[in-house]
Amino acid sequence: MMSESTITVEAAPPTGWDPVTFSLVLNRFQAIVEEMTLVLERSAWTSILALIHDYSCAIYDARYRQVCVVDGLPIHTTSMQLVVRAIAEAFEGDVKEGDVFACNDPYSGNTHIGDLVVVAPVFSGERLVFWSVSKGHQLDTGAPVPSSVYPRAENVWQEGVTVPPTKIFDAGEEVKGVLNLYYANVRYAGLLKGDLSAQIGSVNKGAQRLVELCDEYGTAEVLDYVDAVIGYADRRMRREIEAMPKGVFKAEGWVDSDGGGRENVPVKVAVTVDHDRVTVDYSGSAEQSRGGINGTLATAMAAGTIPFLYYIDPDIPHNEGCIQRVEVVAPEGSICNAKHPASTSLATIVPSDLMQDLVNKAMVEAMPERVPAGGTRNCNMPYISGGSGDGGWGFELLNSGGGAGASHGTDGWPLCFSQAALGGMKIFSIEQLELLYPVLIERAEIEMDSMGMGEWIGGPGVVVVVRPVDGPMTVIGCGDGCANPPHGSLGGTPGIGGGQYVESAAGDARLYFSAIGGARVPVGDVWVGVSTGGGGFGRPEDRPVEKVQADLRDGFISRDVAEGVFGLVLTGSGVEVDREATEIARQRLGQQARPSVVPNEPAASSWLEQHMRAGDSYAHDPLFEESHE
Amino acid sequence: MSNAKYRIGIDIGGTFTDFTVACPDGTNFLWKQDSTRPDPMVAIGKGLEAVSAELGLGVEALLGQTDLLVHGTTIATNMLIEWDGPVTGLLCTEGMRDTLHFRDGYRPSRFDVHLHHPGAPVDRHLRLSATGRINSAGEVIQPLDEESVVAAAARFREAGVVAVAISFLWSVMNPVHELRAEEILRRELPEAYVVCSHKVLPEMREWERTSATVLSAYVLPRIAEYLASLRSHVDGRGLQAVPQIMQVNGGCARIEDVLERPINIVASGPAAAPAAALHYRDLIGEDLVVVDMGGTSLDVCLIQDGRASMSRTIKVSDQPIGVEAVDVHSVGAGGGSIAWVDDGGALRVGPQSAGATPGPAAYDRGGDQPTVTDANVVLGYLSPDAFLGGRRRLRDDLSRKTIERHVAEPLGIDVIAAAEGIVRIVNDNMVSAIRAVSIERGIDIRGFTLVCAGGAGGLHAVELARQMGISRVAIPREAGVFCSFGMTVTEVRHDYLRARRMITDQVDLGELSSVIGDLEEQARRELSAEGFASEQIETRRYVDARYPGQIHEITVSIAGGEIDRFILAEFEDAFHAEHEKRFGYCRRELPVECLHWRVVGAGGLPLARPESVTGEGGSPAPTDSRELHFGSGPVASPLYESSSLGPDARVEGPAIIASATTTIVLHPGDELRCPRDISAGFIVDVAPKESRLSKTTNGATGEAA
Repeated sequence: MMSESTITVEAAPPTGWDPVTFSLVLNRFQAIVEEMTLVLERSAWTSILALIHDYSCAIYDARYRQVCVVDGLPIHTTSMQLVVRAIAEAFEGDVKEGDVFACNDPYSGNTHIGDLVVVAPVFSGERLVFWSVSKGHQLDTGAPVPSSVYPRAENVWQEGVTVPPTKIFDAGEEVKGVLNLYYANVRYAGLLKGDLSAQIGSVNKGAQRLVELCDEYGTAEVLDYVDAVIGYADRRMRREIEAMPKGVFKAEGWVDSDGGGRENVPVKVAVTVDHDRVTVDYSGSAEQSRGGINGTLATAMAAGTIPFLYYIDPDIPHNEGCIQRVEVVAPEGSICNAKHPASTSLATIVPSDLMQDLVNKAMVEAMPERVPAGGTRNCNMPYISGGSGDGGWGFELLNSGGGAGASHGTDGWPLCFSQAALGGMKIFSIEQLELLYPVLIERAEIEMDSMGMGEWIGGPGVVVVVRPVDGPMTVIGCGDGCANPPHGSLGGTPGIGGGQYVESAAGDARLYFSAIGGARVPVGDVWVGVSTGGGGFGRPEDRPVEKVQADLRDGFISRDVAEGVFGLVLTGSGVEVDREATEIARQRLGQQARPSVVPNEPAASSWLEQHMRAGDSYAHDPLFEESHE
Repeated sequence: MSNAKYRIGIDIGGTFTDFTVACPDGTNFLWKQDSTRPDPMVAIGKGLEAVSAELGLGVEALLGQTDLLVHGTTIATNMLIEWDGPVTGLLCTEGMRDTLHFRDGYRPSRFDVHLHHPGAPVDRHLRLSATGRINSAGEVIQPLDEESVVAAAARFREAGVVAVAISFLWSVMNPVHELRAEEILRRELPEAYVVCSHKVLPEMREWERTSATVLSAYVLPRIAEYLASLRSHVDGRGLQAVPQIMQVNGGCARIEDVLERPINIVASGPAAAPAAALHYRDLIGEDLVVVDMGGTSLDVCLIQDGRASMSRTIKVSDQPIGVEAVDVHSVGAGGGSIAWVDDGGALRVGPQSAGATPGPAAYDRGGDQPTVTDANVVLGYLSPDAFLGGRRRLRDDLSRKTIERHVAEPLGIDVIAAAEGIVRIVNDNMVSAIRAVSIERGIDIRGFTLVCAGGAGGLHAVELARQMGISRVAIPREAGVFCSFGMTVTEVRHDYLRARRMITDQVDLGELSSVIGDLEEQARRELSAEGFASEQIETRRYVDARYPGQIHEITVSIAGGEIDRFILAEFEDAFHAEHEKRFGYCRRELPVECLHWRVVGAGGLPLARPESVTGEGGSPAPTDSRELHFGSGPVASPLYESSSLGPDARVEGPAIIASATTTIVLHPGDELRCPRDISAGFIVDVAPKESRLSKTTNGATGEAA
């Protein structure tokens, strides 16, 4: 099923096409999707869409080929054809102009239940020519807890309301009962209604522009140029893969917790770069989980493909021609691609963030200049909620997101959030947060020494302190990569992993909990999240001394790290160094042998041991344990 | 403030310092002076000498009879591009040192793993915090620890900081901590410049506000010095009026006002364009698209009902300026944009530019990449011997050769088809930029006039208009020095703003009226103190609003006077309508949440009416004929000198009209006419586009199947 989308592509630009019209049509598709994206962002209601950008817009043709996607959320945009096809097949013979369909069902080709796909067919006269599509993460799915991702869900019925392929507008008329049924089963229905309006507005805008395009150039001609646009990306992608080192490259990593009782769960990958195709195979990974942490077909396809999209020229359009050159194999029944009715509540982040990063871990030796070190995996970005009934409120906190991995020539960025997003999300301003919700953000700052060190350092992690000010709040974690931190590459060290805890009013006791744990925070206490920085790249002793001095002066790193890891020999209380002694110390560091990637064993983070004090406690998931006592 | 005096606009650009002198008889004298670096004052001095001489006056006589001198400077913008400013510090709320580093969290180009973080304008070791906290209601929940401010001051002193920005959370709701910290810093660091966020940009959202404040502090020492030297220069030569400085909001303000909010002069370069275009409103209306095309980029801004579109998301060097600014959308599309064929066989134009050096191949200065200018040469639109009034000869053989080699051969098409392709693609890039500020915001611009400025504009403007369905193009006589002209016809503008969250179904009308009334009164008071009579003062009111629970706001105007139920309901209607227009839906069942209340105070001086410039109309005679390509074989087309066209003259396309600063290309069916008042420039009535795009002439490969 995964490689069924096959297309014939010429080796060179097809004769008989006009290269200028081709460029104009290519640009126009981009412009249309950009406009869809803008409409969605600016008119959405919840922070998840309007700020966090957890959505993607795209155009597919009548054969479900991805024609154009612009700046979408990576995890959405390499496998959306699966759900478009599922919708089309479910309504075969009953697709009319003015129809709008919705679906969130992971077993109908969707990524996970949190993502609602809204699709409008586009007609030119009688003929269906395109599908205008938006996929947006919903603030709530109707799960037992106020979070759209629920690590404890044991099956599809516990993760929220499944929306199988469903018609929500019939020839322009709203199918009222259906939407009412949906809204009755989710929290924050008013907000979700706003988001759905924005998604519908976006796909309708796309449909309108596509019709205008067909009117302007002629439908038959536009469709010919769709082939040309796909062939163009295919040619460029093929050339990229042909230039890559050939072979089979392997890596292993571990998911912190699977929501079903297992910890440090192994995921394996073998990447085969063949002549002009790539296969990413997750065979050998753990069995599927009994909890909500499982991948879907769509997320597996995306996770395996995404890294190859950043190994290539960023200018190559990510359409069908490009993405179909990477084939993904994920055995059904594994944690990477679960079988119905397993819950796949967190599929877009866990285990898919790790699945993506393992491709980097496998490929870095082969392509050091293109492959970044490990990045944060959605750690410390909890759903925070409080109140009840009409006074209920909730949001996903991104301001505490972790850092990106460093890459050859570039330090990592802060606030990478997750591999699924690659930094393309926006945070709340602190003032907006405090205006909209009864919380006080007491701190949101870079955490010293949180990133992996190297010639290029990982993006820093962040420490955030949140205080409830009007009634208790509930914090639900939904991430990974605290116990098993982002890897360092080619001599670089891993990120710290980090973690989260609730600190008592007196400050004398902390309750630490895991990346997927939840906790109640009474008024007086605070939630503290310390996110990991990204992995470092290259050997730390090769980082220019001036840069390390600046890192030290700016408090990105401590004196201990400047001396112990980077080999600086400091002469006073400032950042001055003894150049000669530093040179010698760095040579000594240079003689140490180091594996090409670290860590290579599970549970490598020592953050908890370092930070827990006498009197502090740890629970895997205090909220769950409390409710099951 | 009498009318019968001179007005002077001085606009400093990278290459030229443009002068416009609006004379008492209503005519405009235009001048271009070479810019000087590092001291731009030299060019100003020389330019003033030159224009006074041309007008038959001494500098003192000219300045003595000048009642408005407006200056547009890039000095602040350049500092933010070069980052060569003084050591600057930031004092912020404890726990929030990294606001500038975190930005909005967004990483553009997410598939580019080698993209560098833009960094913060102040290094982290100079981002210090003060203890003390105010909440969203403006309540002090932790008093300011003055010792922490004193300690920060000591570290600033030690580091040699000369400018400090203070930006505390929620200072927009209660500035008490910022004010006290300012006092302490002024006491502790008497030599330093100190800037407070609640004065620079009293808006919620700390990243934008902090950035605006830090950038203000960063540019302040240098602009203070520069503007002082400007002032002493013109004061010493007889200027009685207070020099005004062009702001990014499209209006000007006195030197002392811009020193209060220095961020307002950052990125002000193109902000005078709307005023310039609106000067011709009687002739071309108040719905305008203004395009300014130069060698490397195209700037577009939109004017609707006589008001320029404004933006609050402008960034300079990746740092947000936060303040309301004329929304100028730029794309890398100009005469120097390079055409290339990528490794997938697609023809691309830009964003790389050959710039002025080496420039297009036709310049024969070492440029060997094909540019848009080269394509225009090959198509016959630019005359090899009439470019820039004959000041520069163009080598059409070099243009042809480079297009042949880099575009035509790789694509397997002939050189004319390749040149047409280049022009179509660059036009399409420019059309996308125009769409982005119009159609994509729900604004139908088919009834608008496209106003064209900049040297390269005339070559493309008519075609851009056609693609957009616009039927009229205006090319003002001042197109070559457009912004300096705009400065002579702009208004004095001050923006006033208060952050106060209110929801329309729970609003206290009395409080609301007093919030906005206070701002209005302040506007009137300050403008009348500047010498404006009350009939010259205009106030306009706006609200940043959204549906409760929504994240982003839109700015909607609200009627003047005491706010009653009726005005509020009218405002709600306007909000719903604007939301629907932009985003395709609205929810009339909901109330509206208001966040920021804005008052624009504008002081305008009546302008002398130009005396009617008479001249002979009749039928103009072409001076030459050229072969032009318009998507089919060559067409013999007449060439006219613009100076030969008198009032009411008409020219039908195909034709070329050449002047010293620009060349206008008319396609078959277009018609150019001169207004009766010839000083206004030219108007082109644009032939409509065919229903389908004509395809490139392409003998080699034929049309697409």
